[in-house]
Amino acid sequence: MLTAFARAFRTPDLRKKLLFTLAIIVLFRIGSHIPVPGVSFEMVRSCVEDSNRNSLFGLVNMFSGGALLQLTIFALGIMPYITASIILQLLTVVIPRLEALKKEGQSGTAKITQYTRYLTIALSILQSTALIATARSGALFSSARSATCDPQGIVPDDSLFRVIVMVAVMTAGTSTIMWLGELITDRGIGNGMSILMFVSVAAGFPAALWTIKEQGTIGGGWVPFFTVIAIGLVMVGLVVFVEQAQRRIPVQYAKRMIGRRAYGGTSTYIPLKVNQAGIIPVIFASSLLYIPALIAQFSGGKSDWAVWIERHFVKGDHPLYMITYFLLIVFFAFFYVAITFNPEEVADNMKKYGGFIPGIRAGRPTAEYLNYILTRITWPGSLYLGMIALVPSIALVLFNANQNFPFGGTSILIIVGVGLETVKQIESQLQQRNYEGFLR
Amino acid sequence: MGSSGALTRSVRRFLGRPGTVGSTGLRPLVRRAGEREPALRELTDAELGAAVDALRTRIEAKGGAEPRGRAEARGEVGTRKASAAPWDDDALVELCALGREAAFRALGERAFDVQLLGVLGLLRGTVVEMATGEGKTLVGALAAAGFAVQGRRVHVLSVNDYLARRDAEWMRPVYELLGVQAGYVTQESTHAERRAAYARDVVHVAVGEVGFDTLRDRLRTAASELVLPEPDVAIVDEADAVLIDEARIPLVLAGGVAAGSDEAEAARVVEGLVDGLHFEAETDGMTVHLTDAGVTEVERALGVDNLFALGMDTRLSQINVALYASVLLRRDVDYLVRDGRIRLVDANRGRLAQRQRWPDGLHAAVEAKEGLVVGPRGEVLDQLIVQDLIGGYPTVAGMTGTAVIVAEQLREFYRLETGDLPPNVPCVRVDEPDRLYDSEASRDAALIDLVERTHATGRPILVGTRDVAKSEQIGVVLRELGLRCAVLNARDDSREAAIIADAGAVGAITVSTQMAGRGTDIRLGGRDGKDHERVTELGGLLVVGVGRYPTRRLDDQLRGRAGRQGDPGTSVFLTSLDDESITRHAFDPPPRSARVEDDGRIRDASVRRYVEQAQRVAEGALLDGHRTTWRYNRQLRLQREEVLDLRRRVLHDDEAARLLAELRPERWAELLDEVGESVLAEAARQLFLYDLDAAWSEHLARTADLREGIHLRALGRQNPIDAFHAETQRAFVALIERAQAAAADHLDTAHITGSGLDTEQSDVQRPTSTWTYMVRDHPFTAMDEPFLTTIGKRLRTAGREG
Repeated sequence: MLTAFARAFRTPDLRKKLLFTLAIIVLFRIGSHIPVPGVSFEMVRSCVEDSNRNSLFGLVNMFSGGALLQLTIFALGIMPYITASIILQLLTVVIPRLEALKKEGQSGTAKITQYTRYLTIALSILQSTALIATARSGALFSSARSATCDPQGIVPDDSLFRVIVMVAVMTAGTSTIMWLGELITDRGIGNGMSILMFVSVAAGFPAALWTIKEQGTIGGGWVPFFTVIAIGLVMVGLVVFVEQAQRRIPVQYAKRMIGRRAYGGTSTYIPLKVNQAGIIPVIFASSLLYIPALIAQFSGGKSDWAVWIERHFVKGDHPLYMITYFLLIVFFAFFYVAITFNPEEVADNMKKYGGFIPGIRAGRPTAEYLNYILTRITWPGSLYLGMIALVPSIALVLFNANQNFPFGGTSILIIVGVGLETVKQIESQLQQRNYEGFLR
Repeated sequence: MGSSGALTRSVRRFLGRPGTVGSTGLRPLVRRAGEREPALRELTDAELGAAVDALRTRIEAKGGAEPRGRAEARGEVGTRKASAAPWDDDALVELCALGREAAFRALGERAFDVQLLGVLGLLRGTVVEMATGEGKTLVGALAAAGFAVQGRRVHVLSVNDYLARRDAEWMRPVYELLGVQAGYVTQESTHAERRAAYARDVVHVAVGEVGFDTLRDRLRTAASELVLPEPDVAIVDEADAVLIDEARIPLVLAGGVAAGSDEAEAARVVEGLVDGLHFEAETDGMTVHLTDAGVTEVERALGVDNLFALGMDTRLSQINVALYASVLLRRDVDYLVRDGRIRLVDANRGRLAQRQRWPDGLHAAVEAKEGLVVGPRGEVLDQLIVQDLIGGYPTVAGMTGTAVIVAEQLREFYRLETGDLPPNVPCVRVDEPDRLYDSEASRDAALIDLVERTHATGRPILVGTRDVAKSEQIGVVLRELGLRCAVLNARDDSREAAIIADAGAVGAITVSTQMAGRGTDIRLGGRDGKDHERVTELGGLLVVGVGRYPTRRLDDQLRGRAGRQGDPGTSVFLTSLDDESITRHAFDPPPRSARVEDDGRIRDASVRRYVEQAQRVAEGALLDGHRTTWRYNRQLRLQREEVLDLRRRVLHDDEAARLLAELRPERWAELLDEVGESVLAEAARQLFLYDLDAAWSEHLARTADLREGIHLRALGRQNPIDAFHAETQRAFVALIERAQAAAADHLDTAHITGSGLDTEQSDVQRPTSTWTYMVRDHPFTAMDEPFLTTIGKRLRTAGREG
């Protein structure tokens, strides 16, 4: 794989694209460290150090590469853009005018992209205002009220002008990220948004690993340090393996007549992935599990049930939490697959265009067959997802590490997902120049 | 519009938006050319020729090293460097002046200033939009002569043989005065004539013809048989039609005779099926499929247990294709039956398509449906899409009446810039807003009424319809009312010239398909123009469109028939909610708010927007189809290049001999003793070329097969295009090695005598007959999009529910 990378570097225009992408990534990381004017950097620093990372913003912080809690100019990361795209996609289904636009092809899609950008700006104004407010109120670093950390001191001057400047800077930062992402998509390698997400997630690794070393006791912390790295590598390997795994259902298209058909069908198939649902079930499940903790926090945490939740559902090391989490993931995996892959629709589409699975009648029998295969393949897929997602919780018990254990299920799935996608794109570009690819 | 429109234009031009290459920088040159005119008028023909020679020598002396004199406009940035032209301003001025003078002497026509602007636009490699009747042919010829004077070889690509020959003959005196050798090629040209014509400076040829020559050249077995030199300059007439509408039509070279399967049986079975019960067609008219009951019925009729069992795929294909032919391809709309053959109708032009057919099985199925003799069929030996053909020319320029509207696509697909020229005399045509009706019946009634009332004044009318059937139907109704009208459509194109010549006469009613919509020049007042003034007083030609065409460009082309060279004229489209453009592409039922008047007219603005949107959707779908074809084709084109490169080395060198001597040294030595070196080298060449061509043909078939089902990869979260590239590459890697091995095997058993290779005995016989045709888009293939959309919709619904 490394030699293939070297080959990519030897191809001039591919090298240009790779270097361009790297340059953008560097810019992105630099921006993630520049504080917004008006923020007391020392205060933020001591608050972050004190803060228990197990805050409600953990997931969001991870997506911003740690920039969120640092209140830097890229604090909002790419989340506003992702949110905006999702909202626009949903609206396209709901609002006929947008659907009409989409149907007009490229020019319509370009307009929708433009709307997405506007919405991103609007969202980042909203989110940056909220972020500054929560930072001042202390909610950002929930349990961090200590001697050195005084939330009031984070934004010393809260005059209207100051706040407007800060909001403007963060909004501008988000627009810049959006632009950087589009630059990567246009002129670099891979999908810009995914790459930046990858970078954000990966950026958290070194610090988290170092924390494990610092907090560890065995062998001066080096033993847990290397153990974690080893586990991480094994997991990446496992995830790569499973993500690539698929069941191929052969399909034939009966609509052309050619003399020789010896090769027919060998490369026409429906690839059913073992993990057809991707990362979504994990995100759904963890979001759902936040809700009880959230309610408990708002209620003040004094009543019996709040204490019970506090004990069982806030930290991830309780068996009850783990079991619930696991079951939720399995449930959502099936739920998601059932919704996104509709065997009847696929069968219908195939029938319409003259496709069929050899030996099986088009229409209902095909749908039933697909459904049967899909159910069987989703079982191992969902169990795998659940287990991957539980790794941080188990690590929590084993190493007493914090929950931002670097090789958490979500981050590994993101890293591997984006990595595979990008490598495949490089491979496809390499192939245009008749080189052999990365993945044999 | 007014001044704000002008402002928008200059801002767009400043931003380098597509379609805005200006002519401002060129105007002083044209003025200077005008100043040269009196001096040139004094020269004799011979002296004029000497002036051209002087220009030629001057250019040669400067060589290609001379940078462009003028600071070139941004129009050149990132475009193909047509401007490799070693032209400076003085040379351009001289060329324009000489060209104008030559045209004046040869044709008696003095080129307008805007025509010279057009020539300059073409010379710098842009697409020029010129209004109808502005003399595009002369512009193209002068630009071609200009390139030729630079020592380059020019192909003037027209849309059909008739135009290629007409233009070449018409412009011949101009070329002669300018000392440029010109010729033309048509379908009837012999091999020798082609070679001779292509050797000239300027060749007028139909796009398809040069494409087929390219294909045939790719399969030659001797270097001496090649007819085409390396492509150099292409000047494309009707550029938007050729470069956009026809760009993805594959030109196909087929050969060999594959055994015909029994289409008649399939046609018979399908005939017995009932719509709605046994099969269902989609409203967009793209797909049709059997229902469960239909499958049972077919199985009963064929006497088989399971239509989907292994080994039944040929049968099933026949049924599917026959069903498609019977339900979705409509006689007199999509095709005509003429002289016992199926002739396709070109929807964009409204005329019979030259040499077009549907992909193999489908064409046979239509023949079976009409009870005709099923024609010959063969294996695809090689194919080429028009886009790749044009892309092979280092310099491309073009002209058309509607270019700016597709400027963005020209830039995307060809890196071509576009600009428009002002008409010589400003256009005063009135384009009325569409009149929309609730149904086809009320629309037709309104149409007849409009024609009747206008005709009473004596004003000439041109009615444009979408298809042959409609044009005839309207013709019948008008005649029943006692109105004399001429009907022009693909069915009867022999009287075309006569009908068009009279279309502008007092009281003329012409009903035509899009045939009259592009490239025709309707003179007011009849063929001699004697009633010109009277017709002008009546308001000029009235153009009535019956329903919008699939693209706005076709609408504009039809409108362009009126208001030629400053004449008055009016255009109006009558649309109805039953029009195909709406029923096929609108995604919702029309807004309910609409108030329908007694005569069926709808004036509601929301409904009008709805109609326009349907047309934009249609255009978007076409464009997406084009882009998809282009993407899928890219890899194949690169691979073809590689094979052709090897092929060239084999053809011109002794590559095959070296290879086979290496692979089979003993056999080689043995044969060398028997037949001698030169005979053996030639035999080796034939063997290797045979196997290489066969391997390529097989590769084409394999990728075509792959292409059909590749969209299924999207279900596994793969990008279908990437997957397609990976798969074709895998198949390609072994291709050349396979061909080499096969050639070596053939060498083992080959019968080579002193007189050369005996192809029949050696089992390497090339197809005895080859023929060429264009393939209409495979009707089943453009399904990536709908499929992805369906999946996308599910995802989004999932998001909403989650």
